[in-house]
Amino acid sequence: MLRAPIKPLPPRRSQYGVAPELVRKRAAELPDMVSVLVRDLFPDAAPVIYPGENGLEVIREATRKQMEKVDLSMIKPGDPVNVLGSHHGFTLLGGAPYAEMLRTIRDVVRERTGCTDIRLRVGVGLRFRESEEYIKAFGLDEYYEGKAAGVAPVDEGVAIETEIGTLYGIKKIYDARWIIHAHNSDVREVHFHRQVDRAVKPFGMSYARIETRSTYHQNLGPRAANFVARAIFDSPFVQEKFACAVFLMMSPSGVVGVDADNDLYALNDRVTYLGCRDYGKMMTLLGEIDEAITILDFPSPVPYVFAAGVIFANFAGANRDLFDLDDPLPPYTWYTEAFYGEDGRPLIEGVPPVNPAIKVVIHNYAWGGYPSAFFTEHIPTIVVGREQAELLDRDPQNLSYTKHTLLAEDLDTAVRFAKQVAGTDKILAFDGASGALNVSRSLGEYLLQKAPLVSRRVDGELLPKWLKQRGIDPSRIKIC
Amino acid sequence: MRAVTLYAVVDVDKCKGCTRCERVCPVLAIKVENKKAVVDPENCLGCANCEQRCPEMAITMAHLEQSRVVQESLAGVDMAAVNDLCRKAHLHPKQIICYCTATRAGEVAAAVLKGAKSPEEISRRTGVRTGCKVECIQPVLRLLHAAGIAPERPAGGYQWYGLTPTVWDIPEEVKKKYAQRGFYFDEDRKLLDSLVETGERREINVARTD
Repeated sequence: MLRAPIKPLPPRRSQYGVAPELVRKRAAELPDMVSVLVRDLFPDAAPVIYPGENGLEVIREATRKQMEKVDLSMIKPGDPVNVLGSHHGFTLLGGAPYAEMLRTIRDVVRERTGCTDIRLRVGVGLRFRESEEYIKAFGLDEYYEGKAAGVAPVDEGVAIETEIGTLYGIKKIYDARWIIHAHNSDVREVHFHRQVDRAVKPFGMSYARIETRSTYHQNLGPRAANFVARAIFDSPFVQEKFACAVFLMMSPSGVVGVDADNDLYALNDRVTYLGCRDYGKMMTLLGEIDEAITILDFPSPVPYVFAAGVIFANFAGANRDLFDLDDPLPPYTWYTEAFYGEDGRPLIEGVPPVNPAIKVVIHNYAWGGYPSAFFTEHIPTIVVGREQAELLDRDPQNLSYTKHTLLAEDLDTAVRFAKQVAGTDKILAFDGASGALNVSRSLGEYLLQKAPLVSRRVDGELLPKWLKQRGIDPSRIKIC
Repeated sequence: MRAVTLYAVVDVDKCKGCTRCERVCPVLAIKVENKKAVVDPENCLGCANCEQRCPEMAITMAHLEQSRVVQESLAGVDMAAVNDLCRKAHLHPKQIICYCTATRAGEVAAAVLKGAKSPEEISRRTGVRTGCKVECIQPVLRLLHAAGIAPERPAGGYQWYGLTPTVWDIPEEVKKKYAQRGFYFDEDRKLLDSLVETGERREINVARTD
């Protein structure tokens, strides 16, 4: 059923985006917008614990309960412990549930081990102060008694010997006797990691130096890339420090639980299974969309704006099955981007086009801090507001982003023009609405009609294939 | 091509001379002298690494009155040598290696052939490593390595540490061990090889046309 639009996630004050007061109108406020709940599309979607009537307390309880089954006896009172986080976690549902999990981990470690030297180290991607902004916004430095820090891939490094050779981590990530890997199961960049070792990925990204990240994106190929994470995690250097992992478990509807384990690969199998199952349906459904105007309206860089737990970069590649490992090259990855020549044509055959269903993108609110010109080169794009265009023009990662865009003074003008040139009234907003898609009525009706068929196809055909490709036997998965 | 529109400005009252900026600058355009950071405006490409990592928030980015463009010219360069160097590094000369500046492997190869001997020199000539400052260090190191150059790391710097493995280096036992876990090493190697081979075929066709 179609419902009134759900309130989108509010703009966030950050050096990487325009000031919240400059975001004058949200996509959800446009006439004829409605909301389709994930649960209405897929009635078998896993139940969420957050958002819910008990607020963040359920996150605290779930974290405590899951950590009860984890052995922390290796941590002695005098040992320094680094709780490792990533900026991604704070982009989920506004960041509060992830922050609450990080607070609870500290409390549990302190209570059970007597350890007092507990530090929080939060990695980033390409916006080097983003984690510092989240640490401040959620009061985590106070909570960690002045021992919380954002770390960046250009910070001092440490060589890590792995079974494929030397890779590099960030020194400050590993400057403790023990590390606790505190992450989330959000599928997010499936175009990059292909849901292979998703739970291990931060060891090759958020916790890694530029050399390792460059290895991932330039040296290995689109389906071998995430091996750098496994290589680092399996190294004696990391194994000697690894205590346990604690994960905020996500679905397109919200937080479905917390998981914790001393065995990261056991947790990884659960993350792989749930990610394929829950996000697989939503992504396959988005791939069914035949035409749409897409509105970016979320406090993250262009590829990372969210709609029902799926990021725009996934929609840009939704014309292909991103989970299918038989398909080598998604329509958007950095490998794909590298394969386009100066004339804008692929250098080799078989490079899939960016999702042709995306007729126009309206950049109503999205940050810089991630190289995004590929999207404006491939999809007609309208940027709303001169201030936003100027912000992108100043961004060293987006110096050519607005070379291929139009500028509109306001969202209404942009939408009017987009409808006229695209010849469609189907609108999909990537605005972070919780557990739902904010869409135009026409697209809402279309999605409700397509969802049952998608659900059956994923359950009966695609999910078994995806799991087999990853060596996952679903009968052996025990969901916590 | 890298358009340079910004440059770093140091607030000397806030600067404590910690040298963090010096250690992360990809073009060595900021230096601590007499306990204060000093920017070399001729070489600063406005990447903002120093501004982003300064613990004292002592650096801001200002607009250049006149923007400039950094790009290595391919004029007069032996294109056969460019292609050969790219091939040795397992790169297609036309493939993008820096996603922020859309710089292609051939341009970086040309910079190497014209005398650049380090990632810092390559960045000053081409602008690579000055957008996100993260993702393009390996192809740069691969091209230098293919040219037989072993660059020296900036003393005490964090700019880069070293060359890392590629899909062409993965040991057979590793491939075998993880074959059932979704890692497609040989298939991806084939894909990347096909790109390089396309570049080679194009050269042959161009030569025949000539």
